[in-house]
Amino acid sequence: MAGLWLAMLVAGCTTTTAWPTATDQGSPAVGNVLPAYHRLETVPFFSQQRYQCGPASLAMMLNSQGLETTPGQLKQRVYLPGRKGSLQVEIVATARAHDMLVYPLDGKLHSVLKEVAAGHPVLVMQNLAFNWWPQWHFAVVVGFDASAHALILHSGTDQASPTPVNTFLNTWARADNWAVVILPPDELPASARPLPYLSAASDLESSGRLEAAMDAYRVAAGRWPDQPAGLLGQGNVAYAMGDRAGAADTFARLLRRFPRQADGWNNLAHTLGQLGCAWQAGEAQRCAAALSPQRFAATPPEVSGQASRLCPLPVCPVPAR
Amino acid sequence: MEVFRKYLGKISLFMALFMALGPGWSPVAQAAMVSTGDMVAAQQVQFDRQQLISALDHPEVQAKMAELGVTDEQVRERIKQLTPQELEQFEQQLAEAPAGQGVVGVLVLLFVVFIITDMLCATNVFSFVNCVQ
Repeated sequence: MAGLWLAMLVAGCTTTTAWPTATDQGSPAVGNVLPAYHRLETVPFFSQQRYQCGPASLAMMLNSQGLETTPGQLKQRVYLPGRKGSLQVEIVATARAHDMLVYPLDGKLHSVLKEVAAGHPVLVMQNLAFNWWPQWHFAVVVGFDASAHALILHSGTDQASPTPVNTFLNTWARADNWAVVILPPDELPASARPLPYLSAASDLESSGRLEAAMDAYRVAAGRWPDQPAGLLGQGNVAYAMGDRAGAADTFARLLRRFPRQADGWNNLAHTLGQLGCAWQAGEAQRCAAALSPQRFAATPPEVSGQASRLCPLPVCPVPAR
Repeated sequence: MEVFRKYLGKISLFMALFMALGPGWSPVAQAAMVSTGDMVAAQQVQFDRQQLISALDHPEVQAKMAELGVTDEQVRERIKQLTPQELEQFEQQLAEAPAGQGVVGVLVLLFVVFIITDMLCATNVFSFVNCVQ
C-alpha cells in the first residue's frame, strides 16, 4: 500500500497524459472510436487474501466469461507461497487449461480501453513500487472514465476503484505494460491482430486444448482470409485428433487458396502418406521441396496403409521437371 | 501443475533451440509435420522485416540516408540479412524508444548508429553489424 501511495506521489509530479483518442491510431475508423465512459458490470469482484492478487484476478477474469471458479480453487495452481505471489506464465497456463484463449495486448493504453469498450475485462500486471524493489500486482481493468482521467480497476481489496491514468501508466510501465484478455476461443479480442492471435491459438494447440484451438483457428480463418495459418492450424488439429482424412482435405483447401505455402505441401504429404496415398504423397513432397529447397527434402514421406479413399492433390505451382 | 513445472525446463530448452535454429534458417531439412506455431513464428519474422523495409520509403529516412551517402539498396540488403533474433533486437529498440518520438525518428537514429558503427568498427551496439576492416 505504501508503494501505491509513493507511486501516486511520483505520478503527481509528471505532466498529465493525454487521454488516447481515435486519431492516435491513424484514421478514426469504425471500432477505433472510444466512448468517454464505460463500465463493465458483469465482472464479479473477489477481494484478495494476503498477497493473493493473482488467484483473485484470474477468478474475476474467468467468472466474467461464465466459468464458475473461485480464488480458493485457483490458488493451488497459480500461487507460489514461497514467493508470495503468482507468475504470469502460470496464470496464462491455468486460463488455457480452462479452454480460454489468452491474448496478450500490445502494451498501448488505447488497446486496453478498446477491449474494455468491447466488453472484455483486461488483466494487467503492475509494479506498485520501484524497479529495484518491485512489488508486483495483478488487477483487472473493468472500466474507464475519460472526463475523470481515470481507469476503473478491481484491484486488491478495492472494488471498481478509480485509478488516475498517470498512476496506472507508471505502475503498468514498470511491469512492461503486461496486459491480456482471456476469452472463449470463438470470440475475437477487439484489438486482435492476425499473427499474435494465431500465435495465441497455437499455444492452445500445443498445450493440448485441441477443440479450443480448432475454434480459434476457425475464427481466425474467417476474420483474416488472407492468413494461411488459420487453415494450416485446422489441418494440424484434425491431424492431432487422428482425423487424417479431415486433415488432408483441410490442407488441400489451404493449398488451393495459397498454392505457394511449402509448409502446407509438406503437411499434406505426410498426411497423404498415412492415408496410403503413395503417389500423391510423393508429389506433394516434391512440391514442398520445389517451393522451399532449403527446408524440405524431396524424399517421399513414409507410406502406411492402403488408399481407401480419394487422395486430394491440388495443383503445384512449380511444374515437375 | 507439478508435472508442468517438472517439464518446464525441458520445454524452455526446446523453445530456445527452436528459436536458435528457427524455421527457414535451419540447414537440416524438415522431415515431419510443420507445427502451426512454427509457421506463425516464421510469418511474424517476415512481417517484421517487411515493416522495417517499408519504413525506408519515408521521406525523412530517405533524406537521412542520402545525407549519410548510403543507398536505399544497401540498407534494404542489410535488413534482408538480419536473423530473427536481430530483427527482434531492432523491434525491442523501437518499443523501448521514448513515447512521443516518432517511429521514423527512432529509425533514423538506429540507421545512423547502424551505419556509423559498421563503417568505423568503433562500437558494437548491434550484434548484427558486420565490421568491415
